[in-house]
Amino acid sequence: MRLLTRSILGSVFAVSIALCGSVHAADVKAVAILTPEQGTDFGWNQQGVTALKEAAAKEGVKALVAENLGYGDVRPTLREMAEDGASLIIAHASGYNTAAPEIAEETKVPVAVTDKPEAMKPGLVADYTMSGHQGAYLAGRLAAKMTRTGTVGIVVSGEPPGWNSQSAAFAQGAKAEKPGITIRYAVIGPAAYSDAAGGKRVTEAVIAAGADVIFGQGNGSSFGMLEAVETTKAADGGKVWFIDVIGDKSSLDKGNLLSSVLWNLTPVFTAMIDDLKANTFGTHGYAIKLADNSVGLLKTSHIPDKVWAELQALREEVISGKIKVEPQFDASAVHALVTAVAAK
Amino acid sequence: MSLFTEPFLTALVLGAVTAGLPLLLAGLGEQMSERAGVLNVGIEGMMLAGAYGGFLVAYRSGSIPLGLFGGATCGGLVAALMALFCVRLALSQIVVGIALTLAAEGLTALLHHVQFSQTYPRLPAAATLPIPLLSAMPVVGPALFDRPLIVYLALACVPALSRLYRETHFGLALQAAGDAPAALDAAGVDVLRTRMAAVLATGVLAGTGGAFMAEIGAGLFVPFMTNGAGFIGIVLAMLARGRPLWVLWGALLFGMCLSLATALQVVGVDIPSDVIQMIPFAAVMAVLVAFGRRASLPAALGVPYRRGER
Repeated sequence: MRLLTRSILGSVFAVSIALCGSVHAADVKAVAILTPEQGTDFGWNQQGVTALKEAAAKEGVKALVAENLGYGDVRPTLREMAEDGASLIIAHASGYNTAAPEIAEETKVPVAVTDKPEAMKPGLVADYTMSGHQGAYLAGRLAAKMTRTGTVGIVVSGEPPGWNSQSAAFAQGAKAEKPGITIRYAVIGPAAYSDAAGGKRVTEAVIAAGADVIFGQGNGSSFGMLEAVETTKAADGGKVWFIDVIGDKSSLDKGNLLSSVLWNLTPVFTAMIDDLKANTFGTHGYAIKLADNSVGLLKTSHIPDKVWAELQALREEVISGKIKVEPQFDASAVHALVTAVAAK
Repeated sequence: MSLFTEPFLTALVLGAVTAGLPLLLAGLGEQMSERAGVLNVGIEGMMLAGAYGGFLVAYRSGSIPLGLFGGATCGGLVAALMALFCVRLALSQIVVGIALTLAAEGLTALLHHVQFSQTYPRLPAAATLPIPLLSAMPVVGPALFDRPLIVYLALACVPALSRLYRETHFGLALQAAGDAPAALDAAGVDVLRTRMAAVLATGVLAGTGGAFMAEIGAGLFVPFMTNGAGFIGIVLAMLARGRPLWVLWGALLFGMCLSLATALQVVGVDIPSDVIQMIPFAAVMAVLVAFGRRASLPAALGVPYRRGER
């Protein structure tokens, strides 16, 4: 009897919490996204804006976009979006994950943040810490197949969890393909997302250390990495390859873009809207993966057909679980792994 | 260790100079403003305007030197606004400086969005001017003595400004405008004109630094790319306290520490990267604070001058 009473009270409490903090199905009329840079960076920001628009169109709701907000205080913009009728605000930068939950509490408009799963609150705050580690693993296999010098590099403009996870998976993939491979790892700065000059400088140093394939993770800074591989020769005098993340820079390629770990956030944002409608928002995280093509590896003409076929076979093994690629979000785990791999 | 090959060491020294040069120009510019009594918080905006303008002119004309001139002009234009609001109209230097920086960030990002966001054009490597014999030295030769002309000109600014401050009437007027503007006024020298000249020169130097960063440092422009370099320039100028040579040491030290941080990571030293990334900031602060304590900042720094007010 006591157990039954507890169950009933618990259920009532849970439903009350969900109803108090959430938006009703009929209330979802507009979804908003805030991005730190323009949605034209062929990367994180562009993918965010594009995915939100696609998800909104799919769900029949209005999309509100605020781009190029920088990395400062976005509280005023969050409030404006709430006042403009947004039923969900996606704060598309790890630097926004303190302000957004605060404004969610203030306005009672649900927000989605990234790189802060501990901020999740049913009906009010969801986290979408993304990691394309499965794709990065394949990128590592590709890099190891293509390197001539036996050294590959990882250059990152910061160490957010999602990128740590991809760096680790890249190293694992490279090591699995070629156990004796050397991996050089360098961070441009604590949050050097737009530091293109820093991206070029650090990439040049990594190339000078012997790398002929660079796995680069950055927003604006990735263009500096691209410039570096285009203007610097590898130790053997040959071409340096570049593997990008999130977006497709093929249209900008001057002959060095080997591939990219492509992300598609449309399924994630669509799921968020569905969760809002089902009153399950903020109760679980979201993921991107090879199986549903929300993560993929870009095929360019620089990848030999034989290598691509081998990568497709590996992709199937990752999807089936035969090859296990676990995300490692912690920077120290990445350092240890890269150091261990480099030491071999 | 086999990693420390000549190409790797050359890349590190080259990177240190390339990273330090925009800071040197920004720091020298800020120092001139501060010497004249103007705390130029808008220097980040001047650098960003210079970066955008410099890249635009270089890309359209195909000439890196023309681009640097364009960057200097854009930095000067932002500085003209600073001079108008802060010197002529005596508004708050901090508020106007922040406003100009924010405006430059927004405007350059917007212009980049309209013009380049679908193409992200990149510039070819800048032509260099090798110095005979010296450029053939291992490591430092290619890093220091086989560089674009602007690198040598920027380094030459250091002794030139030292001499300007010590040995010319204008240099003395600058110092008086910062220390005792009323006395300068009483001596018959126009304080506002002196301060405006200093602010404009700051804009030109900072704009050139920004243009260098975009054209030579990165080879392209992306929004927000100065990434706080202007503010580091302010710190260098404050800590160097009036001495151009100290700005040079500070900028080079900062650049060298950036390269050191990269080297430690590439070698695979397993300590948190936050600690490694802190090295440049901590080193510059420690050295300049330790050795620059005796000098003092101008008495009227940050105080607008109005004739007749005391």
